[in-house]
Amino acid sequence: MTRAAKKKKSGINKDYMGYVFILPFVIVFIAFVLYPIAYTFWLSLTDTQLMSGVSGRFVGLDNFQALYNTPAFRTSITNTWLLWVLGFTPQIGFALVLAYMFTNSTLKLRGTGIFKALYYLPNLLMPATVAALFATYLTRFGPVNQAIIAIGLVDDSIAFLDTPLWARLTVTFIGWWMWFGQTTIIMVAGMTTISPALYESAMLDGASQPKMFWRITLPLIKPILLFVLVTALIGGLQSFDIPFLLTNGRGDPQGSIMTMNIFMYLRRSSVMGDIGSAASVSVVLFFMSSIVALVLFGLFREKDKD
Amino acid sequence: MYVFKQRLSKFLCYSFFVILAVICVVPVYMLLINSTRATPDINRGISLIPSDYLLTNWQSLNARGINFVRGLFNSSVLAFSTTALSVYFSLMTAYAIKVYNFKFKKQFFVFVVLMTMVPGQLYIIGFFRYVAVLNLLNSYIPLIVPSVAAAGTVFFAKQYFDAALMPELIQSARIDGASEFQIFNKIALPLAAPGAFTMGIFAFVGSWNSFLTPFMLLTDQNLYTLPLMMSQLNSDPFITDFGMVYTGMAFTLIPIIVVYALFSKRIVNGISLGSVKG
Repeated sequence: MTRAAKKKKSGINKDYMGYVFILPFVIVFIAFVLYPIAYTFWLSLTDTQLMSGVSGRFVGLDNFQALYNTPAFRTSITNTWLLWVLGFTPQIGFALVLAYMFTNSTLKLRGTGIFKALYYLPNLLMPATVAALFATYLTRFGPVNQAIIAIGLVDDSIAFLDTPLWARLTVTFIGWWMWFGQTTIIMVAGMTTISPALYESAMLDGASQPKMFWRITLPLIKPILLFVLVTALIGGLQSFDIPFLLTNGRGDPQGSIMTMNIFMYLRRSSVMGDIGSAASVSVVLFFMSSIVALVLFGLFREKDKD
Repeated sequence: MYVFKQRLSKFLCYSFFVILAVICVVPVYMLLINSTRATPDINRGISLIPSDYLLTNWQSLNARGINFVRGLFNSSVLAFSTTALSVYFSLMTAYAIKVYNFKFKKQFFVFVVLMTMVPGQLYIIGFFRYVAVLNLLNSYIPLIVPSVAAAGTVFFAKQYFDAALMPELIQSARIDGASEFQIFNKIALPLAAPGAFTMGIFAFVGSWNSFLTPFMLLTDQNLYTLPLMMSQLNSDPFITDFGMVYTGMAFTLIPIIVVYALFSKRIVNGISLGSVKG
């Protein structure tokens, strides 16, 4: 019996109540999400400033052209992507390997629940505190330098947060530290849905563990891989808290960890409060995330067809 | 030989797991330890045993004029109210999608799923300016009310209802003469309680940790949440009293660590649930 027929039979149709129940969501959504999104797009086409006190004039694509001609903006794009790729690669690598071990039926490892719980812990910690924590650990005379000198790894302390390379590696490390556990848990969830019979028959055919990983596990968790990739990418491109709070709030040393959102924030907090310009950064980020997400969806779907 | 190989690979796996666990836990553990140590001791070297300077550190923190207790109160007000709103209204929205057959329902749900991919930072400038025009800067309203429309939570709630809510139950309640709101509040909500709890933890942590939005909207220090106080403390380059800084940091983390210690299983399961079915 179809749903409609069922309704008719019982003689009660309350489907209009659906609108009533979604009403609070819709109202708040329009007022606090949809309108701000549209408003951000509009602001990006104006020269609105916080300090001038007058609402901005429409200037077309001037803000975008100005961005294009600003070397710092281009640097921020490179930084955002570089930091994301550097952080995400080990994150997904560790997650895949760990999840494969956790779910492997020949290894029969116990106590994996505890490890999952411990690996996830950093993800829940307040980013403001995590940034402050690592900033404190990595000072010239801080615990990390004390430790690596004590065990003879280096002769002199490392200026972690004053050298571009080390600053980038630090942001990367924090990203990995905070996220590999979360990714592992998702991968475990994906891998447990794979039928053990597949591995058993492959094992009878004499397949090695790495071969089974590449030929069975990886293809079967493709949808989850896509999910992780897209969400990590959208989140990663928004990177702000950690690099902003780790150093002086300008993405220094030498702008090496200045992400697009830090650049956006700096525009907004500039002397005149250029929020028109800041909005244009967000719009670029918006299109960038959408296009990349669409490309990823397309890539994965095409591969599914064969 | 086979057994030996098996044992060896098990041993190697566990060693790898333990090393990673140490990397995850030691930075947090050392933070908690350092919050109990005196700054000169901290400067002298690493220790893994607690000392007894916690109170002294706490007093110097308060003497600096950053009121962490106030921050704890503010953060709690925001976290509890946003959690309650987002859980209740997300369940309500998801219930509508699950139970009623209204026009554009499919499109509406697709739209909700798409919106889970639009993070708030993307329109923070428009949001900020809009809130300023409404004269709501330095108010909690723009930080609390938007949680009524939390797309991610709606998605999670919908998954939960799909698994836990039987249509027959609603039909029989209707025949008994219950109103639609009664059915939702008295039957669907209790059924969804375990899921609501998991959603609630994530909403709570999200609000507790959120930085950029309150950072942009709040300038009145009396309204500052813990992350803002943390950044205030962290951005002062002249601080040399690290014992005090560690105590401040520990103060911001302990509530979440306690929550996690109590509910880690639910939280871990919640992450799996949110991903696999999607």
